[in-house]
Amino acid sequence: MATSRINTDSLLAIDIGAISTRALLFDVVNGQYRFLASGEAPSTVGTPFYNVGEGIRRAMDNLTTATGRKLISSNESLIMPSLPDNSGVDALVATISAGEPLKIVAVGLLEDITLASTRNLAATTYAQVVDTIKLNDRRQTSDRINTLMRVRPDVVIVAGGTDDGASQSVLELVEAIGLASYLSSKEQSPYILFAGNQKIQAQVRSSLEGVGKFHIAPNIRPALNLETISPAQRELTAIFKGIRKAQIGGIGDLLSWSGNYLTPTSGAFARVIRFLSKKYDPDKGVLGVDIGSQSTTVAAAFNGKETLRVYPYLGVGTGSVKTLRESKLDGIMRWLPFDISKDAVQNYIYNKQAHPHSLPVTKKELAIEQALGRQALLLAVGSTLPDFPSDTPRLAPALLPVVEPIIAAGSVISKAPTPGQALLMLLDGIQPTGVTTMVVDQNNLSAALGAAARINPLLTVQVLESSTFLNLGTIIAPVGYARFGTPVLRVRMTNKSGAETTREIKYGKLEVLPVKMGERVKLHLRPLHQFDVGMGGPGKAGEVQAVGGAAGIVIDARGRPLHLSQDPKRRKKLVQRWYRALETKV
Amino acid sequence: MIAPVKHISPLTLVERERVLPVPGRVVARQGQAVSPTNIVAEYIAAPKYVILNIAEGLNVSPHKADKLLQRQKGDTISKSDIIAGPAGLFQRVVRAPFSGQVKLTGDGKVLIEAFASPVELKAGIDGTVTKIIPDWGVIIETRGALVQGMWGNGKIAFGLMQLMLDDPGDELVADKIDLSARGTILVGGLCQDPQVLHRAANIPVKGLVVGSMSAALVPLATKIPFPIIVLDGFGKKPMNSAAYKLLTTTTKDRNIALHAQAYRSLEGERPELVITLPAPDQIEPLLGMDEFAPEQKVYLVNKSYSAQIGIIKRILSKPFKFPSGVTAPAAEVRLENGELVKVPLASLESFGEKADQEIETY
Repeated sequence: MATSRINTDSLLAIDIGAISTRALLFDVVNGQYRFLASGEAPSTVGTPFYNVGEGIRRAMDNLTTATGRKLISSNESLIMPSLPDNSGVDALVATISAGEPLKIVAVGLLEDITLASTRNLAATTYAQVVDTIKLNDRRQTSDRINTLMRVRPDVVIVAGGTDDGASQSVLELVEAIGLASYLSSKEQSPYILFAGNQKIQAQVRSSLEGVGKFHIAPNIRPALNLETISPAQRELTAIFKGIRKAQIGGIGDLLSWSGNYLTPTSGAFARVIRFLSKKYDPDKGVLGVDIGSQSTTVAAAFNGKETLRVYPYLGVGTGSVKTLRESKLDGIMRWLPFDISKDAVQNYIYNKQAHPHSLPVTKKELAIEQALGRQALLLAVGSTLPDFPSDTPRLAPALLPVVEPIIAAGSVISKAPTPGQALLMLLDGIQPTGVTTMVVDQNNLSAALGAAARINPLLTVQVLESSTFLNLGTIIAPVGYARFGTPVLRVRMTNKSGAETTREIKYGKLEVLPVKMGERVKLHLRPLHQFDVGMGGPGKAGEVQAVGGAAGIVIDARGRPLHLSQDPKRRKKLVQRWYRALETKV
Repeated sequence: MIAPVKHISPLTLVERERVLPVPGRVVARQGQAVSPTNIVAEYIAAPKYVILNIAEGLNVSPHKADKLLQRQKGDTISKSDIIAGPAGLFQRVVRAPFSGQVKLTGDGKVLIEAFASPVELKAGIDGTVTKIIPDWGVIIETRGALVQGMWGNGKIAFGLMQLMLDDPGDELVADKIDLSARGTILVGGLCQDPQVLHRAANIPVKGLVVGSMSAALVPLATKIPFPIIVLDGFGKKPMNSAAYKLLTTTTKDRNIALHAQAYRSLEGERPELVITLPAPDQIEPLLGMDEFAPEQKVYLVNKSYSAQIGIIKRILSKPFKFPSGVTAPAAEVRLENGELVKVPLASLESFGEKADQEIETY
């Protein structure tokens, strides 16, 4: 079946989110694949339908209204393949982020080695590590059994032992898992994924296969200094699919429509980022962020090597209270450009969590939601920083590596009323360094394109090249230390007609070069006071070709990491100034 | 567009499923009349297991220890029962550390599951068990007034109500709670002060229902031993008029059942209070799902509007741009105070009333 779909034309992508279900249509226009339209409807994972089918149906109906293309036949089935009358589609892919994060118990020998890798594996999907079991945790086998019986995990990931390393210690840990599975009823026994020492696979299999839902994957830590997540990630995705099929009504139908091709939205999003990293400057990575209602995803790829982290419950809807708790109230308040009581902000966030689908009506409400978005990003990107490959170029340790472009998805960004608001959230939350380009996935296509890549890579390539994403602008962020107001960058801009303008940018400023959308200019960047703008080292000057985006070209000289004043009055004035700077019409 | 449903009704058929999180034992019978605190099902949350190393205890090889076992898989044991032995010069034995059941033996070891106290599932409402769901729970039915809220602290209670408000916006203050409140369920407008919760716990009251509460009180309210239901949200908003009217008129001298379960929109579970009332048999339940439509009574979840209940006058044909700059599908809603406002459809909930069930229009 997969072979027949390689040369298909139209493709329907279904994305089931915690709040909304979307149907996205792609087809060939003038010989090139293009995104045509989308239809959206509330997700129906829960009450009263308890079946994703109703939300999918409504999203498809809205897509039909938008395009005139009939997708459902008179006998209520998806028209696939497409018919000569232009009804139906030729292929379907599906992604899902809805549903409670999987509860995972991570089992490994040593905290900093195999357990760390196990956590990294768990972080590649919508999952939460609820407990860990390790060799030196001083628990007896019976205590470990009790932990597993109390926690009732969906999945137990077992790693441990390099391929020539420990075996007996791993088998001791496996004993507790086997016994806990034996003691659980068939419905309650967890999935077990073994991704440890390959030499004991057969023994582990014989211990666990009969008592639980057993999966095996290549060792995620085959050597002390080598982590290989991807093969186990595929196996975890298969487990995720099995769990969602059992938990959520209608997933079985979706699997049959899509030829069993359903993937976590985060994994599909990461695939598109990996795809792009092969296309762009190999010296830089590509970064993607997706801020959802319930979780935030950070995906980066450096020359095809992927780092994917999903932060469950860190979001701007159902995850907003966790974002508040992890940020503290002051962490949210500091981004607000107006006076408001702490109580009012806290109340708003708690109400938002209870009604995650509700929308901000006033400017103050919007600013609170955007502050949540900033904090979710800041926390997620900050937590991912140590996991980026150590050999990636950085302008300073502990800062974001040099990446270009940065792709942002999620409604809080893509539905921001102005490009400037979207850009300011991203600058504050991600804090890029050097020269980069910020783009918004305004139609939230990334995950669909990532899912499509597996069956029709040409579609993914051509749609990505078709200006589907909104370019917010080129960003120039010099890195260094100076007193507020000290000139740190001299910019000479030459436009297409040869006209030159020069600007000196002071430390602490956020400035917009008024370059129209799509206009190409040459920028000569000369950092001052040993600032580094990514031209080969501190103080080094250079030239870049830049393109104006929806917010022009933005120079962010506010410093990295960005420090906000402790003085509330001064801070508020600064934040207001930044808001105003990015609302400049270009 | 699908409308989320929040039920506030003076008289309706209430049907509630009460199920265990994991399979267990159903103790209620079909047709049984239950009160909110009656137990309908129970389960063992997390049984405790212990592995006894018999070989070590008897100081013999695992193989020999297996031969000296006196209890086998599946046997029920009492504390201090001899599990294995005797062995050796001093006739060593291994005794059960607690009462339980032998789950597995072999390799010189015995795995024992301790008998544990079951976790009980309460009925939560006053009614009749209409269906048994084997191993999982029951369905209970009753007729009466129903008021759903948006936050609950997870507890259940049943008792007489004491009104602590003359107006939906009255703040409940600690000084107002005296000994006459002992054993009652207090109903107040706003709750902003932690002293209110401390005072109510000291009296003690049986439960608390408020229109709104400060979110800063959530950690404390979660630990308070009696159920708390917040009807309308966090902040300082008066209780919605429909709930206020219902609670201040229909329910005098009647028992009120509080089921302050957490609001889980996916599962359709909301904290709620039910007052069982005499009602005709043919009464119909409210809608479990709804679609937005003109002349529909709706609840506004966004707290920025001047009232929380209104009637949809029309659904706008195009997305509307709100003062925030956000553009979204919207409806024009006539609020109770006569004001006409535009509201995002995403910020509305239906009351789940059929057209002929609507109580009043504005």
